Amino acid sequence: MATVEVGTRPSYVALRALARRAFADARVRTAAFAYLFALYSFIQPVGYRHAYPDAAHRAAFAHSFAENVGLRLLYGAPHRVETVDGYTAWRVGGTLAIAAAIFGLLASVRALRGEEDAGRTELVLSGIVGRRTLSTAAAVAIGGGIFTLWIAELAGFVVGGLPVAGSAYLALATASAAMVCAGVGAVASQLAPNRRVALELGGALVGLFFLLRVVADTTSGAGWLRWLTPLGWAEELRPFSGLQPLVLLLPLGVSVLLLACSALIAARRDIGAGLLPERDAADPSLHLLSSPAAQALRSSRGALIAWTGCVAIFAFILGTISNSISSADVSAGVRKQIAKLGVGSIATPTGYLAFVFFLVTLSIVVFACTQVGAARDEEISRRLETLLALPVDRRRWLGGRLVLAAVAATVIALTAGVFAWAGAASSGASVSLPRMLEAGANAVPITLLFAGIAALAYALAPRAGSGITYGLVAVAFVWQLVGSLVSASGWLLGLTPFAHSALVPAQPFDAVGAAVMVAVGAAAAIAALLLFERRDLVGD
Amino acid sequence: MDAIRTRGLSKRYGESLALDGLDLAVGEGEVYGYLGPNGAGKTTTIRLLLGLHRPTSGRAELFGIDAWADPVSAHARVAYVAGEPYLWPSLTSAETLEFLARLRGGTDIGYRDELVERFQLDLRKKVRALSKGNRQKVQLVAALATRADLLLLDEPTSGLDPLMEMVFRTCVLDAKERGQTVFLSSHILSEVEAVCDRVGILRTGRLVDQGTLQELRHLAAQTVDITFAGPAPRLPDLPGIRVASAGPNALRFEVSGSIDPLLAALDGHPVASLTSREPSLEEIFLHHYESSDGVGDR
Repeated sequence: MATVEVGTRPSYVALRALARRAFADARVRTAAFAYLFALYSFIQPVGYRHAYPDAAHRAAFAHSFAENVGLRLLYGAPHRVETVDGYTAWRVGGTLAIAAAIFGLLASVRALRGEEDAGRTELVLSGIVGRRTLSTAAAVAIGGGIFTLWIAELAGFVVGGLPVAGSAYLALATASAAMVCAGVGAVASQLAPNRRVALELGGALVGLFFLLRVVADTTSGAGWLRWLTPLGWAEELRPFSGLQPLVLLLPLGVSVLLLACSALIAARRDIGAGLLPERDAADPSLHLLSSPAAQALRSSRGALIAWTGCVAIFAFILGTISNSISSADVSAGVRKQIAKLGVGSIATPTGYLAFVFFLVTLSIVVFACTQVGAARDEEISRRLETLLALPVDRRRWLGGRLVLAAVAATVIALTAGVFAWAGAASSGASVSLPRMLEAGANAVPITLLFAGIAALAYALAPRAGSGITYGLVAVAFVWQLVGSLVSASGWLLGLTPFAHSALVPAQPFDAVGAAVMVAVGAAAAIAALLLFERRDLVGD
Repeated sequence: MDAIRTRGLSKRYGESLALDGLDLAVGEGEVYGYLGPNGAGKTTTIRLLLGLHRPTSGRAELFGIDAWADPVSAHARVAYVAGEPYLWPSLTSAETLEFLARLRGGTDIGYRDELVERFQLDLRKKVRALSKGNRQKVQLVAALATRADLLLLDEPTSGLDPLMEMVFRTCVLDAKERGQTVFLSSHILSEVEAVCDRVGILRTGRLVDQGTLQELRHLAAQTVDITFAGPAPRLPDLPGIRVASAGPNALRFEVSGSIDPLLAALDGHPVASLTSREPSLEEIFLHHYESSDGVGDR
């Protein structure tokens, strides 16, 4: 029995217990990130050696990619990308650093604010544990999480064949972004009235960090902006290309400062409240309350805007890249595999955009399924009982939600088309706007098909429905990928709906396939409406 | 026409029979108390009355309209308050009231403002920031303000403080005055005793007793305490009467049925004082639940 003698550093015992608890609470997320970091950092050097086996290939690659704006936007400014380690540092510098920044934010808001909002902090503080101990324990747990990511990334590089010392330094550059953003999350946790607002505040700042880095890396003369963002500091550390270890003082100093600030505020504020006042009261705004579907639109506005914005940004970035893929950039093997999908050569803008829209289509299908999932949540959380106890018709309720999902998916699909066109046009590719609108619209029939199936699965099995739907989408997508890569026979490949969605703009729009998918989706949706009317409502 | 009528209404969830052949009739203008402990089938009854769940057998009608087959018409004259308030966290109280009013129609805005005042509702607060009791008040105001012909209330006062509980009782009595029908499911006996004309007692899915409070009292035992002038006598065994000692000179009698045999037996024993008390609803309720088997225990 571990009894604590009064006076023998009880706070140390409590500190250890609390830090362990906080670390263990986040273990699933930490493990998922660590897995991603290890895999991603392993793939970079290995893939590079495979795709560009000799100096000639590497020089050609470095030459063509170095000035590509879209790639600079994603990965940052390239240094020595004609070498394995330089290339790896470039690929990792932009992407893993932003992932690490998000990890740091999530980890610290969870440890410092999530626990508090769940009411557990109050319980702990009602005992002999002081606030300082609690803050320190959270910092230790967050540090443990970041350390885990550092080890995972380092392991990936080393197994991938990079030198240990350089790899450790590169992984440290990534981790430095996590440290600073953990500090940001810590201060946000003290300022915000609750966890949600803390995440919003911290998320906005991390977004700003990303934006600054993007501008610094893509605009000539704006390079100095890199010094204003921790993501820029990670670049300025210059792993594998002229190390600048003194730069480490910046992330170290700032994160310590932020954590100290957070601890200082934490010791002074009320539990359950932040320095900023809670905005849990508002004057009534009475728009979008006329029907359940209107109210659903009102409450999912934020998610809809986020989806549309993200799809637009990525469509634009990929559009800017479309014109700069030359045959030298992508190894012959990869080109041949992608061509099997039917997009033709991805070294042409239309081929590349067709391949991109194959992926955009998948994300819009997933979006539609999340919308049906949101309708299901309304039932599982029993708010639907409140609605259906009113003179509200069941079929009209579900029908309204399905129409909302279809319209929103269509808007996102067309947005993707417009922004991909804008990106392509800005880099001088000869792709027409109508053709790209067509590429966007082409995602709609298969989306309607899966939305209908999702509705049917929900009507039949409200609890298991979401799992069934996402499972079907995954199987259909993988079927198409694997089926075309192994050149499966026509009828076998034809079993997945993705085979009937034409690869616009590389292929012409397949009107028959689209019509059949819309018809099947509509039939499934009608069956869903009829079945939904015949069953009991369920709840959690 | 009855506001509520069920015939042989049963509901089975998998293996368990949640409601077993319920025959219920609640007339227009009546305030009906529906009593039973947790899990007796009260909420199941209400879900069937609202057509949210489908009857395994039998049927439920509101104002003569089948609740499962035509819920939208049936709900036109009904307002419902759930035991747990399930509302939209991002809406404020005012927005919630507006949303529910628009979906239902026929809300009396003047009366709603009065109710907001009476229940001391903070209209600017978002639902996610409200305590359970306050969310419950939002639901109550929304339902009462409709002045619907039938109020279906499922444990409506859970989470309310005693002051608000009193406001609620006043509102129910107001509704009764206006001729509205109230179906009040509850396990708070004092509440039912205070406002209901008629009471039904539910036990493991069956209606085990039903009637006005007067009728129920006659069927349950009344308590008679007698203090004698001298030592308490030994009385013969009397049919339907249980005796217990209540002090050196006193006896307590639990009398089921007629009190005449007891009065006859007391003849010749000098009585110093006699008090008689009718059973409270609580005693009636406990009487039904203390006997172990649920069938024909009256």
